[in-house]
Amino acid sequence: MMRLHYAPGSAHSAAVRIVLAEKGVEPELRKLDLVHLEQHSPEYLAVNCHGTVPLLEDNGRKLFESFAILEYLDETYPDPPLIGDDPQKSYIARKWGKYVETHIAPHLAIVRWAALGGRVAAHAQAGLDRLLPERAALWRRALQGFGSDQLEASARAMLTAGDRLAADLAATGWLAGDRMTLGDIAVYPHAAQFGALGLPLPKKVDAWLARMAERPSVQAIREDLFPVAVMGPEPGRWG
Amino acid sequence: MLEVHTWEPNANSGKPLFCLHEKGVPFIYHYVDMGAHEHHGPDFLAINPDGTIPAIVHNGFTMTESTPAMEYIDEAFLGPPLRPQDAFRRWQMRVLMRFMDNVVAPSLAMIASNRLAAPRFSGEDPGELRRKLDRIPLPERRVTWEQLMFHSTPQEEIAESERRVSDAIRRFDSILANQKWLAGDSFSLADICVFATFYGLPHSREEDVNDEASPHLMRWLRACHVRPGLQAALRMGKGFVTERAAEVRRRIGVPETVAA
Repeated sequence: MMRLHYAPGSAHSAAVRIVLAEKGVEPELRKLDLVHLEQHSPEYLAVNCHGTVPLLEDNGRKLFESFAILEYLDETYPDPPLIGDDPQKSYIARKWGKYVETHIAPHLAIVRWAALGGRVAAHAQAGLDRLLPERAALWRRALQGFGSDQLEASARAMLTAGDRLAADLAATGWLAGDRMTLGDIAVYPHAAQFGALGLPLPKKVDAWLARMAERPSVQAIREDLFPVAVMGPEPGRWG
Repeated sequence: MLEVHTWEPNANSGKPLFCLHEKGVPFIYHYVDMGAHEHHGPDFLAINPDGTIPAIVHNGFTMTESTPAMEYIDEAFLGPPLRPQDAFRRWQMRVLMRFMDNVVAPSLAMIASNRLAAPRFSGEDPGELRRKLDRIPLPERRVTWEQLMFHSTPQEEIAESERRVSDAIRRFDSILANQKWLAGDSFSLADICVFATFYGLPHSREEDVNDEASPHLMRWLRACHVRPGLQAALRMGKGFVTERAAEVRRRIGVPETVAA
């Protein structure tokens, strides 16, 4: 018995749903509303104390941390393989899985919060007091507003991400080898938000976005790919 | 041919050394002297333009992310498997490594470098320090080094790092109360990832890491320290890391399992 807690507008959720569709696996879906910060509700925090989506329940076990979920699904449902048995390609896919967490998602969240005029409605303020200290601190920082130095640094991080994507896409049009892997799937839903936020991407990356968008697994969730003003992973605190 | 360009058997820098010794894979060790800022110099930047340690080069393929590189080593070479068979256990291993890499290791690095590295910059010419900063390619690393060189790491950030490390010690201790290794019954990359940063804690953080406060973590630390592979990697250093590891083994009663 498999159940996925996810939310439209959550890029990490979208990546998990793309992998599920590629594998032809249909778990029970529990949809959360990020706009109303349902992920901070006592009911959801009882399921996942981190107050983040996605969360996958499988045979009574709870799995969080989306790239680790992608690998779990790939190992549990090996057909079609999405990371492969070539160590070089696996390394590159995992490198991107990590880069999404450390460089793309945290800074995209900051740029997005500013671009969309993020706020927390009065009825949702109490939710922040229920979060773990580091998540609560991140949301409080957002509510105070990010300074211009931080916004510039985050915007620059997005430009760098675009350049690095273009560099790895140059050889084959995919990030790791000559077909789509978990690396492409992990990055795609984040990069798909760039346009709506006015963030430029190199042509090679735009072409890759278009190629990804054609896949039936992406078509099936395309209405979930919009940006919402929510915090992502914490930006690195030391180097 | 496998070449590892790295500093000491410590934290990210040490991960490939620990992993290759456990796997039993021969390699060439190119020592990059971080104290002399060699990782921001032209020779190393030619290998890794980001100026981060380690860089692992296997038959011309360069890897600069230490945790994905450990999975590569486990996949590409024969030797004892360093990842569990079971998909759920592998998930557990990867989540722990992510927690270590993103939360715990940076906190410990902030604490240790403010204690050990920052004092070395006192009295140095600010202009010279600025020139050193300008050679650092990644903006987030420049911020970190600037805080170290000019003693400007906010005290509340250091306090937050202390909180996170103490929290992680309790968390690992409770995991190890129920299982032999961090990802289950078998030694895995998660153990290497944590040990690479935790090997010295019975010495540097004695108040949190001792037989009364964290008995399960101590049991695990002894089980790691006695492994010939990890011991051999710890002996590869050129200075304080190797000495400190030997001192920790003496203190916690772990025998030498590798000939000196």
